[in-house]
Amino acid sequence: MEGYGFLILVSIYALLPFIWMLSTSLKTEAEAFRVPPTWIPIKATLSAYVSMWTKKHFAIYFLNSTIISLATAVLSTFFGALAGYGFSRYIFYGRKFLIGFFLATQMLPGVLLVGPYFKILSKFGLYDTRTGLVIAFLTICLPFSTWMMKGFIDRVPDALDQAALVDGCSRLGVFFRVVLPISAPGMVATIIFAFLLAWGDLLWVICLTSTESMVTVTLGIARTVGEFQIIWPMLMAGALMGGMPAIILYLLLQRLLVQGLTAGAVKE
Amino acid sequence: MKLFKIKDRHTWTFFVLPGTILLVLVLGFPAFQSILYSIYPEGGGSSYTLNNYSILFNDAVFRQVFGNTVFFVILSVVSHLLLGLGVALVLNREIFAKPVFRLIALLPWVVPDVVAGIIWRWMFDPVYGAFNDLLIKIGLISTHVQWLSNPKLALPSVVFVNLWRGFPFVMLILLAGLQSIPRVLYEAAAIDGASRWQLFSRITLPSLKKMLVVALALDIVWEVRRFGLIQAMTQGGPGNITEVLSTYVYKQYFQFFRFEYASAVAVVMTAALLIVSLPYIWMISQEE
Repeated sequence: MEGYGFLILVSIYALLPFIWMLSTSLKTEAEAFRVPPTWIPIKATLSAYVSMWTKKHFAIYFLNSTIISLATAVLSTFFGALAGYGFSRYIFYGRKFLIGFFLATQMLPGVLLVGPYFKILSKFGLYDTRTGLVIAFLTICLPFSTWMMKGFIDRVPDALDQAALVDGCSRLGVFFRVVLPISAPGMVATIIFAFLLAWGDLLWVICLTSTESMVTVTLGIARTVGEFQIIWPMLMAGALMGGMPAIILYLLLQRLLVQGLTAGAVKE
Repeated sequence: MKLFKIKDRHTWTFFVLPGTILLVLVLGFPAFQSILYSIYPEGGGSSYTLNNYSILFNDAVFRQVFGNTVFFVILSVVSHLLLGLGVALVLNREIFAKPVFRLIALLPWVVPDVVAGIIWRWMFDPVYGAFNDLLIKIGLISTHVQWLSNPKLALPSVVFVNLWRGFPFVMLILLAGLQSIPRVLYEAAAIDGASRWQLFSRITLPSLKKMLVVALALDIVWEVRRFGLIQAMTQGGPGNITEVLSTYVYKQYFQFFRFEYASAVAVVMTAALLIVSLPYIWMISQEE
């Protein structure tokens, strides 16, 4: 089988950095600076992990990331589901323009917005707050959530809506009692995708926070790079723990996420 | 196409407007502000000016950063496409342990940008890192290479990491596309005596056209915006060797506090992005 050699090479390329991260995170500081490097720690220890939680404020970082990402995900999925339903079920004047607008907003780079955000949030006392970050993350997540939810709602047959309407259900009733429950798996996928978008961001956090109590996981990791002496086992332990939620969520919901990402691109 | 009762005709506003208004507020308004900043004179003043733009286009550093970004984006996207397509084609066959391979190939794309950057920074450490150690062990190099601090190697090294980071997304999209091609097409063509290359160029590629466009458009946008990976790995250094537009704007804003100049750079970057992605936006919105 000719394909296997290729697949194995690609797998090594994909996996090696993760193995290296895991291996380093289990080493002592002295072993991390051995030449030549060891792949399997001579003396494996969890002390780097313990240090991250006790000597660094990793618990605060983790809590911040979780709160901010969760709030963003729920809000953007809710508004995204509403808009997605509207785009999926109605034909109205300006529809194509609005769809184009949503798509175009998905293209805007964050750096176009961070400057004005810094000034606006400062003016409203929201600079260096979680609320400010949630508002900022909505800019990344809402276009994606709308697009994904529209894709999932497109798969729910319109005949169901019509049947419910004939039975005297209101449009809102149709949306909340018929369409949303059926597209629940899609909603979960959308929430998780938005959660991970917010979780993985560095740009907005680095620009819109200043105090230790607002630091997120990504910023906590990125900041250590500038430090005079980097303690690699601790940094790798932090990276591993910071990447873990993303890895677990993807593995659990791989199929749904792929469906959501390719929704609209493949017609059935 | 879709039937609805006449009295129901205007309820679309209830669904579409909240999101639209929110987007205009949190996105449209700040974007507009950015354009305004970019035509304020640097260091204060009342009249509008295009001065920031003329400074920018005459700035050698800006031109270098722009060039870096083009190099980074083109090489990243092309390499993502080649490797992503290659892996997708193999994974589309009936092979043993397919889900395991797909899962492994997906991992680099799953972790946050910063995590990816920091791992590779440590991989690339000239003395203590794994990369040199491995290359020396298999005999490809004999001395410790400075991957991220050698001016000639730094940017290609960053692209190499970004290949690792970004190919899974393209693979994922193309694999979904491949799986939606009906098998009968291949069977019919095989009966007619088509060669493997003909199967690929006459059936596979044309059927993948739309997925290729989607993957390409999204990937270009993401690579232009890529920030955390480079920030965690090199912070644009050494010098400006690996500086791209997003890290450059960030520095101008928050390290040098040149708000007006930074806005002008961001506006140019956005304009370039929108021009590149306009055909995609047009295609999708017309189809819907």
